[in-house]
Amino acid sequence: MADPANDFIKDYQALAQQSWDAWTRQFQPSPAANPFTPPPAPAAGNDTLERTLAGLKGYFDWMQAAASGGAAQPAPDWRQQLQQMFGGASQPFAQAFGGIDSAGAEGFMRQWQSWLQAARHSGFADLAGAQGPTPAFGLNREQQMQQQALATALMASMQATARYQELIQRANAQGMQRLQGKLAEPGRQVDSLKALYDLWVDASEEAYAEIALSDEFRGVYGEMVDTQMRVRQLQQQQTEQLCQQLGVPTRSEVSSLGERLQALRREVRASHSAVATDHADEIMALRRELAALKRQLAERPAPAMAKKEVAARPAAAAKKAPTKAVRKSTPKTVPNPRKRK
Amino acid sequence: MQTPLRIDPARALADIAIFQRKLAAGMANLRNMHEPEYANTPRELVYSEDKLKVWHFTGHGKATSKTPLLIVYALVNTVWMTDLQADRSMVRNLLEQGEDVYLIDWGYPDGADRWLTLDDYINGYLDRCVDAVRARHGLEAINLLGICQGGAFSLCYTALHPDKVKNLITMVTPVDFHTPDNMLSHWCRSMDVDLFVDTMGNIPAGLMNYVYLTLKPLRLNQQKYIGMVDILDNPAELENFLRMERWIFDSPDQAGEAFRQFIKDFYQGNKLVKGTLEIGGHSVDLGMITQPVLNIFAEQDHLVPPDASRALGKHVGTTDYTQLAFKGGHIGIYVSGRAQREVPPAIHQWLRQRD
Repeated sequence: MADPANDFIKDYQALAQQSWDAWTRQFQPSPAANPFTPPPAPAAGNDTLERTLAGLKGYFDWMQAAASGGAAQPAPDWRQQLQQMFGGASQPFAQAFGGIDSAGAEGFMRQWQSWLQAARHSGFADLAGAQGPTPAFGLNREQQMQQQALATALMASMQATARYQELIQRANAQGMQRLQGKLAEPGRQVDSLKALYDLWVDASEEAYAEIALSDEFRGVYGEMVDTQMRVRQLQQQQTEQLCQQLGVPTRSEVSSLGERLQALRREVRASHSAVATDHADEIMALRRELAALKRQLAERPAPAMAKKEVAARPAAAAKKAPTKAVRKSTPKTVPNPRKRK
Repeated sequence: MQTPLRIDPARALADIAIFQRKLAAGMANLRNMHEPEYANTPRELVYSEDKLKVWHFTGHGKATSKTPLLIVYALVNTVWMTDLQADRSMVRNLLEQGEDVYLIDWGYPDGADRWLTLDDYINGYLDRCVDAVRARHGLEAINLLGICQGGAFSLCYTALHPDKVKNLITMVTPVDFHTPDNMLSHWCRSMDVDLFVDTMGNIPAGLMNYVYLTLKPLRLNQQKYIGMVDILDNPAELENFLRMERWIFDSPDQAGEAFRQFIKDFYQGNKLVKGTLEIGGHSVDLGMITQPVLNIFAEQDHLVPPDASRALGKHVGTTDYTQLAFKGGHIGIYVSGRAQREVPPAIHQWLRQRD
C-alpha cells in the first residue's frame, strides 16, 4: 500500500538532489572539446570551493537521509532512531574524514599506478616479487631485486594504511557511543538536524582525539608514514636510473649540488665574519688601551721635573706643559697590549 | 524514558530547504568573489637576502617607543596572519599604540633552500635581520616578538646572542614539546624523520596542511564550511572567511634540513627544555635568557597546547617573567575581536614599562 508521507519525502529528496546537482554543476569547469587538451588551470579559489563542496555534500546527504530515515520514521527506541540517522553510507563522518583521507590515499594510489604504467612502458618488466621474494640472477638481477623490494614495500604500506583506517573507523564508532551518552544526559533535547549534527561533531572529535593521542595510534601513524616513504624512495631510485640512462640530470645530483653550494656559502660567510671579528677585536683592544691610558693619566701625579720646567716658563705656556710632559712619558710606562700578544 | 530526539519531520525538511535556499542565494556572491587582499598596512623594505625580506611598517604617526620591535614569524604559513585585514591586524594595532614594528617574511623556500639548517635560519638569517634593524636605529639591542615556531627561534636566538635582545616576547610558542595533549608531537615521535626528509626533500605545504586538517578532521573539513553557508549572503563576512582560507592554504614548503632538525631536536628530542639543544655547534641554554620575557599563549590552542608554552617560566633565567593567558585559539589570538582589544595593548604596556 502506498505511503503518501514517504512518497512525498522521496519526491522531495529527488528534487533536492537535482537541485544540488544543478548547483554544483555551475562550479565545475566545462569539459574540453578535445580530449587530448589538458584541463584548464583551476580558477583562483577553486581549491577552497572543492573542499567546501565536498564538506557540504556530505552534510547535505546526511540531512536528507536523516530526514527520511530517522526523523520521518521515529523508532520506539531513540537509540535505534539514532542508528538509522547515522548508520547509512551517507554518514557525515565517512564524508568528512574519509573525504580528506581518501583524497590522500587516492593520490598515493594514483601515483603508484602511474608509476607502474610508466615502468612497464619503459622496459622495466612487470612488477616482480608481488607474490613474495624470489631469487634473482642474470644481467637484470639488480632490477629484479629492486622491483621485489618495491613490491614488498608497497604491500607493507597498504597494510599500514589499512591499520590506520581501522583506527579511524574505531573513532567513528566510539563517536556514536559518545553521542548516545550526550543525548542520554538528563534534560538534553535536540530539536533540529543542525543541533544533532553539531552534537555529533563534538562527540566524534572527542573520540577521535582520544584515539589519536593513544600509543597505538602513534605507532600506526609512524608505520604508515614510514612505509609510504619507503615506497616513494624506491620509486625515486628506479626513476633516477631511468634518467641516468637517458642522460637527464637526476634529483640526487641536483640535491647534491645544492648541498655543496650551501656548505660553500656557509664557509664564505664564516670567513667574512671571521675577518670582521678580527677587526672588531682589534678595535676593541685599542679602545681598551686608550681607556687604560686615560685612567693612568687621570690617576698619575704630575712629575717633579715637569714642575720645575713649568716654573721656568712664562705663565701662559705653563698651563699646557703638564699634558705635553705626560704624553711624552706615556710609551715608557704603559705596556702595549698588542705587543704582548 | 522520554526521547531526547524531538526532530519534527516537517521541520527537518524545512531545514534542508533553507540550507539549499541559502546555497542558491549565496552562489552569486561566491562566484563573484575576488581573491581577498590582506590588510597591506603601508611598509618599506629595509633588508632582503635570498627569499627573505624584512619589512618596516610605516604607519601614520611617528613611533613613540625608543626601541624597535622585530616580529619573528614561523616558517609554516605566511606572516600575513599578523596583518590579515584592516580591522584585524596585530601590526596595525601595535603601530597605533606607538610601537616601531619590523617583520621578517621568510618567503617560499624551493629546491635551492633544501639544505638550509636551523643554524642558517637562526644564527644566519635571523641574526642578520636583527643586525639590520640595530644598525638602522644605532642600537645595541632591540625587542623581539617571536610567534609559534618563530618564538622557539627567538628563544634560541636570545640565548645565543643575549647582547642583541633587549626584551623578548613569545606568542603561542611551544617550549615543552612533550606535554600529553600535544597531538602533533605525539604523531611525529614514532616516524623516521631521516627517511621522511631524505625522500621528500623539502616538505610540501599541502602535506603540512593535510596534517593540520586531520588534527580536527570534522570541524576543519566539514563543520566550518557548513557554517559558511550562513554567511553566503553577507559579502563582507564571506570575504573575511575566504581571506582566512587563503591564509591557511597559501603556505610555504618547508626547507628539508631545517624541518629534519626541528622535528628531531624539538618534537622528538624535546631538547629545548632538556638543555641539550645545539644550534650550529653552540649549546642553547634557556637559563642564559636574563632579559625581560613576556610569554603569551592561547587557552584553547590545539596546535600548541597551553602547557607547552607555560613551561617557559620554569626554564628562562630572567627574574622579570610575565605570562599572559588569552581566551581563544592559535589563530584567534591574532584575528579575533577580543585579540584586537587585549593583545597589542598588553604588549605595548609591557614594553613601555621596560623601554
